[in-house]
Order: sequence, then C-alpha cells, then structure tokens
Amino acid sequence: MAGKEKPENGKLKVGFYNVTGCAGCLLSVIYTEGDFLEFSQQVDIVSFPFIKEKNDDEQELDVAFIEGVVVTKADEETVKKIRERSKMVVALGACAHLGNIPALAKMKKSEDLEYLKYKKEDFNMDREGGPAPLHTLIKIDYTLPGCPPDRDEIRQFMKYLLLGKTFRNYNDPVCVECKLRNNGCLLDQGKICLGPIIAGGCKAVCPSGGLKCYGCRGFVQGIDKEFDGYFRIMEDKGFSLDDVKRALETFMAIDAHKVLDEKFAQYQLNRKAREESYE
Amino acid sequence: MKIKVDIGPYKPEPKKIISYKREAPDSFTIRLDWQIEHGPGQFVFCSAPGIGESAISICSDSRNYVDLNIREVGNVTNELGKLQVGDELLVRGPYGTQYPMQDLKGNDFLIIGGGCGVAPLRGVIKYIDGHREDFNDISLFLGFRSPEDALFKDEHEDWDKRHKLFMKFDKMEHENSTACYTGSQGFVTDLVKQEVHDNTNKIAIVCGPPIMIDKTVEILREKGFHDDQIFLSAERLMYCGMARCGRCMIRGKYTCVDGSVFRLDHFEDE
Amino acid sequence: MQKGVFDDFVREVMQSREFVAPVKGDQTKEVQESFFTDIKDPSQIEIGQLTYFPIKYYFFAKKEVLFSFHKNRIEEPEIDIPERVFFGLRLCDLNSIKHQDTVFLNNGFRADPYYQARREHSLLIGMHCKKGDDHCFCQSIGLKDFYDLMFFDKDEHTYGIDVGSEKGKAFVDEFRRFFEEKEEGYITPEDKVTINTFKLDTTNIKNLWDNEVWSSLSEKCTACAACNNLCPNCHCFTVEDEVEVGDVTKGQRVRKPAACLVKGFTRVAGDHVFRDDLVGRFRHRIFHQLEFFRDRYGETMCTGCGRCIRGCPAKIDWVTGINTAARKQRGGQE
Repeated sequence: MAGKEKPENGKLKVGFYNVTGCAGCLLSVIYTEGDFLEFSQQVDIVSFPFIKEKNDDEQELDVAFIEGVVVTKADEETVKKIRERSKMVVALGACAHLGNIPALAKMKKSEDLEYLKYKKEDFNMDREGGPAPLHTLIKIDYTLPGCPPDRDEIRQFMKYLLLGKTFRNYNDPVCVECKLRNNGCLLDQGKICLGPIIAGGCKAVCPSGGLKCYGCRGFVQGIDKEFDGYFRIMEDKGFSLDDVKRALETFMAIDAHKVLDEKFAQYQLNRKAREESYE
Repeated sequence: MKIKVDIGPYKPEPKKIISYKREAPDSFTIRLDWQIEHGPGQFVFCSAPGIGESAISICSDSRNYVDLNIREVGNVTNELGKLQVGDELLVRGPYGTQYPMQDLKGNDFLIIGGGCGVAPLRGVIKYIDGHREDFNDISLFLGFRSPEDALFKDEHEDWDKRHKLFMKFDKMEHENSTACYTGSQGFVTDLVKQEVHDNTNKIAIVCGPPIMIDKTVEILREKGFHDDQIFLSAERLMYCGMARCGRCMIRGKYTCVDGSVFRLDHFEDE
Repeated sequence: MQKGVFDDFVREVMQSREFVAPVKGDQTKEVQESFFTDIKDPSQIEIGQLTYFPIKYYFFAKKEVLFSFHKNRIEEPEIDIPERVFFGLRLCDLNSIKHQDTVFLNNGFRADPYYQARREHSLLIGMHCKKGDDHCFCQSIGLKDFYDLMFFDKDEHTYGIDVGSEKGKAFVDEFRRFFEEKEEGYITPEDKVTINTFKLDTTNIKNLWDNEVWSSLSEKCTACAACNNLCPNCHCFTVEDEVEVGDVTKGQRVRKPAACLVKGFTRVAGDHVFRDDLVGRFRHRIFHQLEFFRDRYGETMCTGCGRCIRGCPAKIDWVTGINTAARKQRGGQE
C-alpha cells in the first residue's frame, strides 16, 4: 500500500525515469503545474531527467515512476535496476502499462520496419521477444494508465502518496464519465467506440471531442459478462471480432488478440448455451 | 446568490478518545467520550478527514460512552488505527435498527458471532448484563481465525462465568497459545450443531461473514428455529445512513435504516 | 397567455432569473444531444421533443461539496445558487423531481440541505406533452400533477396555463401583464391527454424476480451505466474526500452520482463485491425503479420517460421484455 513506505522522519525519495517512449507521460506530471511544485517540496525528487540537471541514479528510492516500454536490452537492465533499489514502482502511462504503439512492432516482421529507421546505426530493438510492458518484467505496485495519463489522476496519486492511502484506479467504464460530460453515444453513430469495456478516469476526453475510445487505459478490471454484451452489440451492428481487434490494437497490441480471443470464445459458448436453454 | 448551507445531517462531531486497546493484530477498540442514546446493533460513521468515512458498529451499551471495535481492512480503518488516547475522532450517528431487546424478554439467547461480527454482539451481551433478570440462559458461540485474532480476550473469563461461552478457531497456530481463554479448532457452525438442540423459547442472534451467517441459519432452521427467532446483521457499503445513497440496498431494503439488524423473516437476500 | 408574447415573457423573466429550458444538442458542440440549459435567447428553446439528458443534475449536482475540512475542523460550504425558472419540463421530468424530493427532502430524515437549497430557488414550469415517442410510456405509470405552472398548447395562438402551487401563483402575479385570467375549468381533461404508442403492461413485477427475462435482457448489457446517468430518477451517490497536494490535511468532502450498473457499486474494503453478477445488477435497477421505491414511498419511481432505452448503446428494451415475461407468466397460471 502507498503509505507503508512512507518514512517516519524525512521525505519520501521519489524518482522519475523514462525508457523507450515519447516522454509525454513525464510531461503530464509536470503539467500538474502548481501541484507538482507543491509535491516536489514535500518529497525528495532524486531523479527527474526533464527538470533536473543532476540526477542520482544509484540511490535507494521509496517510489519510482517509470515511463515507456522496454524495447532494448539496456531498457530491460534499467528497469530491473530501478526495481531493485525501489520500494514501490509505478508504471506511468500506456507504454509502461500495456506496450502501446511501440508494441505494434510485435505484429510485424522486423524487415517490414526497416523503413522506419531514421539512421541505421541508431535503430535498436535488440531485446529478444520484442517490446514488453513493465509488468511482464518486473513487479509493478501501481499503474497510472493512459496515453497520456490523466493529470488529475497523477494529482490524485501524489495526494495518496502523501496521505499514505492505498491508491485504487478508476475502474468504471469510460461511458460513465462520458455520459456525465453530456455526450451522446458514438456507438449510436456506428463507430467502434471501445468505451464500454475500457476503464475510464480520462474524463472521456476522446468521445467528448467526437473521437471513439481507442482503449488506451486498458480493460475495466474484473469484468466478464460485460464483454458478452459488447460483442453482441458489435455483432448487431455488423462488426466482426477482427474489427474490434483492430480498434483495440493501437494501444493494446499485446493484449488485444489474446484477451479478445478468449472473451469471444466465452461469448460464443455462453450464447450457444443460452440459445439452447430457450429452446 | 451565495448561500451558506447548514450541513446538519452530514456533519460529523469531534469526540475525544478516552481509551484505546489493541485486540488483535488487525483490530482495536476505542472508547469515545460521547453520551448518546443508542441500542445494541446500531452503528456510527467515523471520519478520517482526507481519507473518507466508514460505518462502524457500536460494541458497548452505556449512556456514558461509546465503544467502537475497528478492524483495519481499508484506507479509512487503517488511518483510524493510528489514533491515540486524547485524540478527537469525527463521528456521526447512531444509525440503523437495534436488536429489539425489550420484546425479547424472557427468552434464552444464542449469541453467535464470527470474526469482527462479534463486535456488535458485545453490545448485546452488555445490554443483557445490565438487565440480567429479563433474560434466561445465555450461550455465546464465537469463532475467530486464530486465538490471536480473538476479540475482547480479557472479557472471556467473565463471559464464561456469567453465561456459557463456546469458542472455535479456524487455525490453532500456536499450540500453547495463552491468547485466549478457552477454545478449540473448528468452526462456530460446529458448535451450533453440537450445542443447540431445539428452538423452545430461544432467540438466535447471528453476526459475521456472509458465508457463516448462511451456514448458521441453515443449521438453526434444521434445529426447528423459525425465521422470527433469528436475527442477523447485514453489512454493505454505505455513505449516508439516511436511505439516500442507495449503496446499501438489499432487495429494496436499505441496510442503513431497515437494518443492519434484520429479523430473518423480514430479510430477503438477492 | 398569447403565444405572441411568449418571447417577451421569457426575456422579462431572464432580467431577474436564470431561465432554464430545453435546447437542441449539436454534434460539434460541448453537449451533443438535447438538454436543459440556461438560455441566452428565447429562440434557443426547443420544446418539440423530450430532452436526451435529464434535468436532475440541476438539483443533485454532479459534484457537490458537502463541507471543507482542515484536520478535524469542519467548515460549511457556500454554494452559488441562482434563482432559476425551469421551463419546458414534461410531466415525466416533473414527477422525477417529485421523486427526488421524496428521497432528499421527505424520506423521514433531515432534509438534504444542498438539494433543499437548490429546490427552494427554483420554479418549475411544465409543458404538456400531447404525444409520446417510440421509447416513452408515461401512461403506463400513472404520473401525478406536480408543478408550479403548467403550459398547455390550447390552440394556434394560446397557451393555457394551470397554476399548481402558491409559488406558481406568486410568479404569475409578478408577471401579471403576460397572463390573462380564465374561468375555472378552462384547462379541460382533454387538454391533459397524452397519447403513448409504447406501453409497459404492468409495474407490478414482484413475481418476476427469479424470471429468466433478466438474463436474456442483460445479454446485450455492457454495464456502461448510460441508463443510470440518463435516468431522471436515479439518485444513488458516492462520497469522497479530496485533499490539497500542498497540505493533505486540508480538503473537501464531495458527493458524486453513482451508477448501480457498474461492478464497483457495491465493492467494500477487502475487495468483496456484493452484487457481482451483471444480471443481478440489471435486475436491481429495474426493481428499484418499479418495485422497491413503491414499497417504501407508495409510488413507482420510474416515470416512463424512456431515456434509459434511448440512451442505451444496445437499446435494451426492458419494457417489452417485462411485458412478454409477465404475459407468459399469466398464461402459465391460468
């Protein structure tokens, strides 16, 4: 839990790190503006490459925030070392959480990616097994999902750290906040919006701007029959499993296929059983 | 137009903590300097500002103070665990129904509790001790995870003297544990099976985890108990205590105002 | 009232009060479907259809500060409440406000002060609805007259207005020049007729608790809770503490609406979820709407507005589902 690590005297030692990623998540932390300043006064920011000239990369930490996905051997070593010297590790953002865009590389042959290289010698994806989100390599205590993570959720996490309160991610579907923000339904407009099965906390920022939910925050935790409902809606609207997978691939390339295949098989079984029971 | 709101019904009041006692590794009892009418089975809301509010059942029966037994399972209760004697705790209440002790005079009582469900039952025991001549035989059947987890350990001897005390533990981790007065390995339901023979002039009060309540009710029914002889306590998430927030509803009944003490024939599970 | 003076009337009311009325939504704007808002000009008013969004959040705020605290010191909040006139409420909207009043003001406990303050500074003007749409079924519920003023579309040139309360009467007196006195019985029973094409056969569904209809209805449910959030009656809430990063001993206790369709609704410490099954959650909502509320307060909570069906991504038609199940059950018993 968040608070147990809080030292009796002195400040929490906090580090922010980045492996392969766009650094947008770290920027989101800074975007909490005044609140980050307040936070930085109450903890000891040991490392934050964006804003600190001198960073200590050896010290033991109470909390380490890691942004990005593990793509290279060096990345892997970095995150493992951070884990070793940290009491708590927080996966910051969709890359660290799910693999996000870099993980799409897993779905292509490496030759097909050649054209993406800016300079040959800089191109390095030497980790065997391809891009990997953090939880597949090290133990993650908390996740701040999203691409980018929601500022208010980062704020909330800072507060919980300071309070010593166990943090719990928002776990209602995107639709809940979407309706509270006075949006109509994109599914009604025939879009493959993933809102019903994706965890909110983002204040439905995409649907509020007319974009369907792409699922950057991962599935709602613990749902099961809800998938059946979603597949059923998709089927009624004439979309196939592949359409849904494609919609989900953007941010969840690694999980999209596995999880959806599983849930879809379950859906078909349930449906068959139900139809038989009606007869 | 700016309006200053009188927040009356939601306003918690600070009450001084006059004693603090650790009962088990994850449980403690505090006594509040709070003179308020309440009956056995009722509960109050305790606030930890910044963390939240939790419903906690009262485990005393007195007009001079209120005892609360709190198990540290969540954010709020963990925070409450850090309180010390002399601190003030924000509370509001009491809420909920009580065991209708007045109407149950002249009966034998089976008081059956599991884990932290024993807390509200202590209120019943205290009430009975205060009105001893109104009630007949009192049997206490209590179950805990282990002797270390037993609540109100230093009262067991007294309870056994005044009434009949039977205890069971899921696990006896330490063979020669002195943490408890008496008891053996097993479930509280085993005790009910063994020790209860019929339903004549008997009232059963059951409080504990849902599965234990279900099993106990099943056994009591087998022994011939009618649903109007059985009282149980339901536990749900709740935020208001005033039949508004809707979180505690069980098949149309609000646990906060229709419960948390229900007579079984008035209670339908979902 | 002559329809010709209506716009002037609205403008005059707007001098001293917020005028909240239904307007059209716009896909490109902040609110995409029809809703209630404080209008800037009478031309915005659109009373042709039932709004997609409910009125309830004007009284039961999406975020209500219950109080602020600094350690154990509690401070009462100041809320900003303008004097509001609500116009264009249909009888289903009005009855939903009545039901919210029941819960927040008249449920036997002390009135909810926040809700009460908002209600006290409101005046409810209804607009009679002659014909329902494909999803609403108010005639199956039996709604009550509940309004300060009610407008009826008398003829091409005239609104007939029924005064329903002292507050309404005082309002008419204040804006006397727009209203004409009429004889008793000017509003006829014919004026009050609403025609529904959609019907719920029975609100008595006690016997359907164990029916298979719930699993077949919830087959398409994703637990997105659009039904909860669009329902004008749903009033369940959650309470949270929000603190300041700079000083975590300072903060506010806030109340937000909660949705019983989502899994976390009954989650307690230790991660136990009492109403874990989606079918059970779906059934709970409908039972609360049709049975539970009536058991307690003597009225069906659902007001038949059909927003839950209109707003549902799967368009789950529970009304027809119940009709069919009830018919089957009756058939079986005969």
